Amino acid sequence: MREDYTYVVLADDDEDDRLFFTEAFEELKMKTKVDIYKDGVDLMNALNQSDSVLPNILFLDLNMPMKSGLECLKEIKDNQRFKDIAIAIYSTSASEEDIEDTFVNGANIYIKKPNNFNNLKKILSDVVTMNWQYHTSGLNKDNFLLRL
Amino acid sequence: MLLKSLYSSERFLKIIFGLSLFIVLVMGGMSYQLIRKLSKSFEDVQHTYQVHIELEKLLSALKDAESGKRAFIISNDSTFLEPLLNSESELEGSLERLKFLTKNNPEQQKNIAELKIKIDKNLEIFEKTLDLAQSNKIDSPEFISSFKEGRQTMNSVRFKIMDMTTHENQELGLRKEKSSKTLSNAPMFLYYVLIISLLILLLTYLQISKNLKILKEKNELLETFKESTTQSEIISKHGNWIWHVEDNTFEFSDNLYRLLGEEPQSFEPTLENFIAFAHPDDLDKLTEQVNKMMENEDLPFIHYRIVQKNGTIKHFKAYGKVLIDSDGHRKLLGTTADITDEIENYRLIEERNLELERNNKELASFNYVASHDLQEPLRKIQTFISRLEDKEQANLSDNGKVYIGRIKSSSARMRSLIDDLLQFSRTNKSEEAFEDSNINILLETAKHDLAEIISDKRARISSDSIPSMKVIPFQIKQLFLNLISNSLKYSRENVAPVITISYSQTHIDDLPKVKYSKHNRYHTISVKDNGIGFEQEYAEQIFTLFSRLHNKNEYSGTGIGLSICKKIVDNHHGYITAESKPNQGSTFTVYLPITN
Repeated sequence: MREDYTYVVLADDDEDDRLFFTEAFEELKMKTKVDIYKDGVDLMNALNQSDSVLPNILFLDLNMPMKSGLECLKEIKDNQRFKDIAIAIYSTSASEEDIEDTFVNGANIYIKKPNNFNNLKKILSDVVTMNWQYHTSGLNKDNFLLRL
Repeated sequence: MLLKSLYSSERFLKIIFGLSLFIVLVMGGMSYQLIRKLSKSFEDVQHTYQVHIELEKLLSALKDAESGKRAFIISNDSTFLEPLLNSESELEGSLERLKFLTKNNPEQQKNIAELKIKIDKNLEIFEKTLDLAQSNKIDSPEFISSFKEGRQTMNSVRFKIMDMTTHENQELGLRKEKSSKTLSNAPMFLYYVLIISLLILLLTYLQISKNLKILKEKNELLETFKESTTQSEIISKHGNWIWHVEDNTFEFSDNLYRLLGEEPQSFEPTLENFIAFAHPDDLDKLTEQVNKMMENEDLPFIHYRIVQKNGTIKHFKAYGKVLIDSDGHRKLLGTTADITDEIENYRLIEERNLELERNNKELASFNYVASHDLQEPLRKIQTFISRLEDKEQANLSDNGKVYIGRIKSSSARMRSLIDDLLQFSRTNKSEEAFEDSNINILLETAKHDLAEIISDKRARISSDSIPSMKVIPFQIKQLFLNLISNSLKYSRENVAPVITISYSQTHIDDLPKVKYSKHNRYHTISVKDNGIGFEQEYAEQIFTLFSRLHNKNEYSGTGIGLSICKKIVDNHHGYITAESKPNQGSTFTVYLPITN
């Protein structure tokens, strides 16, 4: 993690969700840099550039056209270069199946998109300020899903 | 039982026949013996009479000679001497015959020898007197003494003959005495034997008639069996056939013809005629199986189709087993069943299953739509409302604020509806999910989830200790959660809710409205509250989906919570009932079967 700011990346095909996400960070006024990709293909293309700057935290929507969040997650976990990226699943559904799949494939946290903007802000600030090392070492299926 | 007695009576009959045969043989033998004895004694009598006659002849020949001689002496006429020549040869013949007749009797032989000497002497004297008479020396003393001597010897001959006659009579008497004992007992003995034989025959007749009666009963039974077999063949659509292995001939039952769509016994029961009905596609398979049957003298389950003359295709199933009868003949008893209906039903079930599978898939995709696609726009609506409230509050008129509030509560209701529906559709049964669970812990977890509202309402919840059961844990937790939150939701205004959870066991007979169950005893968990209650007439209605007894403005609720409870209890093969009176609280009772 760089000293001056936290680099946050979101891949989500939903325009409204992208808007909420960027607005939330704007209002939070934290030391962050936010980049947005509109689907999994765009995201992976950007990451796979050899000179790309890797994000500290990657927010992945699951239900995306062409390349789903789960596929992106698998590709990232297969690549040693990306091993330091903390991956937060950011999805509308919180079905047992999705939670299980992403946990098994090495995601760090699972966030169910909230239905209230203030809750969103709180979640994002919690996630950015989270001590990832501490969280990852004690990660299990019960604390994988972020609860408010 | 009957058959056994039949077998034993067969042995009895064999013994009786053996005995009868033996007795008849013995009787025959004895009769033969008796007749032989009778004829022997007859012969004996005849023999004695012959001896008598010969002796008489001998005597009369001597007398003839004597009287001839005397007549010659008196008349001196030589014609009186003619019989003398005859009587001499007669005497010889008689003696020879006597010798032969008494050849087995040494006493008589001796007598005959003596008699012969006497006769010879007599004849000698006779010759002498005759010579003297011819030479006219009748008056000479020599003649007179010879004549006297002749009379003496004649007398001794007569005595001897009398002796012999007496002896012969004595012999006859002895023999008669000897045989009379056996002969006099014989008719009596034969009569007894006859009576016994008749008795045995009577006994045999009784036994045979008894056996015949049993056989008749058996025959009637067989006739009944045959009739019921014919009926069951028709009812269960099967036919029987017999293959006589040695003669390679077949017998088909009437119904086998009917299965083929033909009149009973309307064609020769041969293999060729039967195979002619085989479906062209199954012909090779059937022929191969029949050949195997001929080879192995056994027919495992086979399946094939036939085509009736009117073109109807039928599915047949056949099976056969070799039976060896009491004469050692091998018969293959076969059964052929028309399973067309079964196959049709199976096909129908398969189609239904496919349809169900399709429906389930549709339901699953509906679930996904509900969980994801419906939630997404709703979530955005809610988020935008929160944005409006935060950022645009100042720009809204009072009406606008009211409208925003209404949109907010409607979308919140929409969310709880979607969540509850999802909960309902996810409450499915899966056998693997059953595990031995501590019900008390599940109850505590449910209470923990409701901690906030419990403390808000200052509710008091007490519970019995509940034994562990084999359940789907998360569903039972959900059941408690829904029942308790239901009690909390419908509590009376200004009255702190008191919820009592109690445990007992109930026998199936005491369970209301349950007619049949494979379980005898039920765990009984009841949740009693002091809430607003309801009219008892709605006790069943409240468990149906979306049914609500109150306006949604008065009490929040989607009408799904209790339906989920019912579904959970159904999944556990249990029952749920409700009892209530308005303003006096309600009691929900859950019955779960006690397994093992």
